[in-house]
Amino acid sequence: MACQLDGEVELSAAVKIPDRLLKRDQERVEAAERRKEVQESQTVTEEKSDYFSRGFNAEKAVIESLLSICSNLDRDKAPRVLEEVTLKIQQLQKFFNDSVVFLTQYELRQAQASLHTLQSTLDEKRDELLPKKKFAFRSRKAETSNSKATPVSTDSSQHSKSDGGTQDARSAELHVADGNIGAEQCGITNVDSQTLTMSAEEIQQRDVLLTHLTNCKVRLLGSPSTLHIKHVRDCEILCGPVSSSIFVDHASGCTFAFPCQQLRTHNTTDTRVYLHVTSRAIVEDCSGVRFAPFNWSYPGIEADFELSGLDKDRNNWTLVDDFNWLAADTHSPNWAILPESERRSSWD
Amino acid sequence: MGLLTILKKMKHKEREMRLLMLGLDNAGKTTILKKFNGEDVSTISPTLGFNIKTLEHRGFKLNIWDVGGQKSLRSYWRNYFESTDGLVWVVDSADRLRLEDCRRELSALLLEERLAGATLLVFANKQDLPGALSKDAIREAMALDDIKTHHWCIIGCSAVTGENLLMGVDWLLDDIAARIFTAD
Repeated sequence: MACQLDGEVELSAAVKIPDRLLKRDQERVEAAERRKEVQESQTVTEEKSDYFSRGFNAEKAVIESLLSICSNLDRDKAPRVLEEVTLKIQQLQKFFNDSVVFLTQYELRQAQASLHTLQSTLDEKRDELLPKKKFAFRSRKAETSNSKATPVSTDSSQHSKSDGGTQDARSAELHVADGNIGAEQCGITNVDSQTLTMSAEEIQQRDVLLTHLTNCKVRLLGSPSTLHIKHVRDCEILCGPVSSSIFVDHASGCTFAFPCQQLRTHNTTDTRVYLHVTSRAIVEDCSGVRFAPFNWSYPGIEADFELSGLDKDRNNWTLVDDFNWLAADTHSPNWAILPESERRSSWD
Repeated sequence: MGLLTILKKMKHKEREMRLLMLGLDNAGKTTILKKFNGEDVSTISPTLGFNIKTLEHRGFKLNIWDVGGQKSLRSYWRNYFESTDGLVWVVDSADRLRLEDCRRELSALLLEERLAGATLLVFANKQDLPGALSKDAIREAMALDDIKTHHWCIIGCSAVTGENLLMGVDWLLDDIAARIFTAD
């Protein structure tokens, strides 16, 4: 009896299973179909590298053939063909740019090289076929006269020393800009052993530049917007409240006194700074820089503080970050606080 | 297909961009970042290290990395190059003496393979200063017209007044969006 029952159970199961299997199999096939469809819809033909190389090479061949025939064309037709080629190369460049993200390094280099060759062939053809336009000639002439003027108007020896960089055509151009500093830039440059004062009218809310000063006493009685001090030796520079930052580079044996929002000191040695700073001072590549609180004054400094927007009650002169000394537990050897006994109290 | 498509789709969904802000020290990078984010700019101190800000703008999530520009920090810039969508190069337009330095640092950056796909925005900052060079003078001095490897644009701005900051960032977003979010 028990045995018979078992048999019945088995029998009914055998009938049911194929049904379920069939259903599952069908579902599986459908799911696979769906996946395939999704996959196909997501594949972007434009992103296959063979699509790119095919398109690129076809277009390249067209351009090359255009370039090769244009030598045989007469003067009227050649410009039009060259124009077309220019356009085609631009389009090809764009096509390339758009495809850059999915190309391999090798393909990138190849395509770039091809584009470069096409462009230079085009340039050659253009030089060969088209007469030079007048304005091009003129502009070139202007350039040469410009560069000739360079050595006269600038002090290039000092700059090449300070930048430590190679002297190329572009830096020569820049020196022309340097030469114009006197005209547009407010400040003092190239002075030796003098006492110099600039009044509020000259410097108020301007960006002031002091460079190449030796053994000078400088008084800036006003509130500049920023102050740059570069290449100064054995100078005493006092300045009214500076609204934003002061940038000091290559100073040695100097005494500075100024209020500012930020002070950035670079390549400076053996210098005392009487400082009022509302955010922070930093030193980089410096040694022997010593800080004291700002204590200089002149008639009208209160009004200049107002104008500069600096907070008179917030002075962080003791907070100095040394970019060459990141250890938090030991004090940087490059800067120190000037002992009270050595601080100056009178400035005149 | 597909990895790239998937990546693009993921990015699209997040609408997230990574912007890297570099430039010489004292150019005004942190000030631009804070001003753009509507923060107080009067207490900014020279950046020892870096700042990151994540902010929402025009429905995009911008991760802006502002890395210090001091000479001693420049060798670390390359640690931040990975997966940068946009490079913001900030120039102190009033600092004529270091323009050549500035040009050299930028041209070195543009040779970086990991920045090859990034869009370049040059901010000619500090236009509020009376002695600042115009954006065209900066463009010439920096030889920007010679750049053929990147999409670029130069915009004169002032981080202190906020002038043109929005315009610059909007251009950058448009250019990046056109590049990475057009998969579908």
